[in-house]
Amino acid sequence: MDPTTLIGPSSPLGYPAPYWFLVFFKVLGFTLHMIPMHLWYTGILLAMLLQWRGGEEMQRLSRRLMRPMPIVIALGINFGIVPLLFTQVAYYKVFYPATILMAWPWVSIILLLTLAYYGVYIYVAGLRSEGATPARWRQAVGWVTAALFLLIGFFFSNAFSLMTNVRAWPDLWLRESVAGAPLGTALNTDDPTLWPRWLMMFALALTTTAVFITVDAEWLASREGAEYRATARRVAFTVSTLGVIGFALTGSWYVFGTWPEEVRAAMMHGPMRALTGLTALGPGLPWLLILWQWRRGGTRARAAATALAQVLVLALNAISRQIVQNVELRRFLDVTAEPVHIQWSPLILFLLLFAAGLGVVAWLLGQLRTAESPSG
Amino acid sequence: MHYPWWYVPFFTSPMLIAIIAVLHVLVAHYAVGGGLFLAVETQYAYRQNHREYLAYLKEHAWFFILITVVYGAITGVGIWWTIGVASPLATQTLIHIFVFGWAMEYVFFVLEIVSAFIFYYFWGRLDPKTHVRVGWMYAGSAWMSLVLITGITAFMLHSGRWPEERTFWAGFLNPQFVPQVLARTGGAFLLASLYVYLHAAFKAKDPALRDLIAARSARPALLGSLLIVLGGIGWYLTLPESAKAALVAASTLNILVVLLFAVTIAVFFMLYLGPYRNPGWLSPGFALLFFTFGLVAITTGEYIREAVRKPYIIYNVVLGNQIYAEKVPELRRTGYLEGGTWTKAWVSHHYPQVVNDGRIDPPRLLMLPEEDQVKLGEVLFLYHCNDCHAGRRGFSAVGQLLRGWTPDMVRTVVKHPEKAHFFMPPWAGTPEEAELLTKYLLRITHPRPGGMRFGEER
Repeated sequence: MDPTTLIGPSSPLGYPAPYWFLVFFKVLGFTLHMIPMHLWYTGILLAMLLQWRGGEEMQRLSRRLMRPMPIVIALGINFGIVPLLFTQVAYYKVFYPATILMAWPWVSIILLLTLAYYGVYIYVAGLRSEGATPARWRQAVGWVTAALFLLIGFFFSNAFSLMTNVRAWPDLWLRESVAGAPLGTALNTDDPTLWPRWLMMFALALTTTAVFITVDAEWLASREGAEYRATARRVAFTVSTLGVIGFALTGSWYVFGTWPEEVRAAMMHGPMRALTGLTALGPGLPWLLILWQWRRGGTRARAAATALAQVLVLALNAISRQIVQNVELRRFLDVTAEPVHIQWSPLILFLLLFAAGLGVVAWLLGQLRTAESPSG
Repeated sequence: MHYPWWYVPFFTSPMLIAIIAVLHVLVAHYAVGGGLFLAVETQYAYRQNHREYLAYLKEHAWFFILITVVYGAITGVGIWWTIGVASPLATQTLIHIFVFGWAMEYVFFVLEIVSAFIFYYFWGRLDPKTHVRVGWMYAGSAWMSLVLITGITAFMLHSGRWPEERTFWAGFLNPQFVPQVLARTGGAFLLASLYVYLHAAFKAKDPALRDLIAARSARPALLGSLLIVLGGIGWYLTLPESAKAALVAASTLNILVVLLFAVTIAVFFMLYLGPYRNPGWLSPGFALLFFTFGLVAITTGEYIREAVRKPYIIYNVVLGNQIYAEKVPELRRTGYLEGGTWTKAWVSHHYPQVVNDGRIDPPRLLMLPEEDQVKLGEVLFLYHCNDCHAGRRGFSAVGQLLRGWTPDMVRTVVKHPEKAHFFMPPWAGTPEEAELLTKYLLRITHPRPGGMRFGEER
């Protein structure tokens, strides 16, 4: 069966904004989403490991990772809405079929996320009420929560790799359907890009978590002693190193082992070669900055520079992923060729509200400077 | 038709939307009304320098965050998840019309999250004036979220001038918009008070404090009741004619409307006689009963709101079975199987002999062996009917509904479902395809129940 026959017609309504506008917000949203998402993806697992095997300072670090996690998750979910929204606007022809083919795992994300989120609250509540070492059952909840987030990540990797793996749709569909209606039980596990993509995101998440530890130690841990900060820098370096090595290995596997010819041709030639190179080498910069701080001591400015470097790394990653996604889809459809009927007044109103909203958030955060220190 | 149809045995996939939507809406209203409650009452407690009340409000704010920021936010995202897989064409249409509506709602959602966390986590660390301002920031953002999302959901029930003008504002400012905003705002006030009663009944140990909470929360609840009545009247008056008719004609809706009236009246009376006139009545049992009645009323109201829209997902635009309403005449000419991206691919793959010059030739369908015709009937059933009906067993199963029907009766209804019941979509295929579906339905229909006697003819 020709997989292109499974791609539906264009929406008669067209895009409500130019493609570049949609994809800009998609990439921006994904970059912002990755920051908190990386923290829960590997931060919780790291916190559980440190709590289990670490010494006193490591356990302190574990608690510092877990305490802000409820807010981190709320922000991550929130930021995730933007790329999801614009994916559905611009990539609807492939997004809906892919998620329908794997509907049960896809929908189960909601249940898994609810359980994981409450799991985090249960663990953090234990840190408040039971002190340094939460009860055993709460620790068990923490481990289950870490596992749930890994599973959620796996389902996400499946959905977004299946979205571009149109070639696999006919087999998956015919294998798992009733009279042409999918059962929604498929997974994209036969796709060679799935596993390196999932693992690569895990490795990149480790590097973000390492940066968070660095920033937290210099900016937010003023009450902790020098010994704690030294431990935090050492752990950050170890985690960052693991992340960078993992990223190099899984990235090489992904690029050299799984990229089809057309993607390699697009990403390894001309100006794209520079982008691919920067994306591949990018995580090295925050790693060097973390190494520097571990050897020479940290300051707020160094930590801020590390955070900025990591945001750039994530942005490069998001841009490269977007280009690869379009190249993978090119043989099946051209997402840039859809008709456009710009909704000017709602678009302008949104941009005005967006700017005003940023102003209000800045005002809200500005109020925190006047806040008194927590007692006790 | 453009997308594969997700087969969920017994329930049907759209029922998953209903389940998640109801679970969400019970909390979403509290997220709006509860925010207003916290802003107003914190301001009051600061002014009165009421330390005990402030302590209670802080505890309530934690409960509020756990319920709304976690559960409310995830189930809200969950609606996106399920509508995308169970109703993809309608979702695609809505998102292409209203993406900037959702984007604007998102801005307010960000403000909600940030202000909610600051309001709670910086409790006692901000000066009272700033703290109250942050509370109002939350309340205002949450209400704006309600307004924006209601414009979109109201459009689904009444598409207004959109089919002619096809602009964002023609769709957003539809006839149902203002009534539904009023009703939902009222629902938010009322439901928030019920959550407050439930929480206070268990957590506020001091009887005087509990009485204060009961009395103060009764006023917004009564205001909410008034708004619900006003919004409800407006909702009814601006309903499309078929929706009004469905309220009267569908027996399930009759029962639900009676239930809704009964429970709503009970809630009003309990509110007036209880917290408003006799705040001391607020015991855990009373609060639980009150809360349950509130949930039943909201759930029933939401179900009715959804059900009267039939046969559309978006009124006059997208039908429940994922086809554009305007495409029906074309599909009747060219065929339902031919018109659907995935149905055509399935037929072409399994029965290439019915494809002629790249198109499915309807007369050839009836030349297939009987079993293959039944199989194709099943394809038609799943893609055309399964959004509302399960097969042999399950939700509104046709195998049960057609018990005892003759082949001619089945054939007639298949060809003209919208004439048998005005809330069913029209048949959107060729006569040959209607025959295939008839054969399948007759195959899965249970026999007429035995043992029924109506006297003997002499």
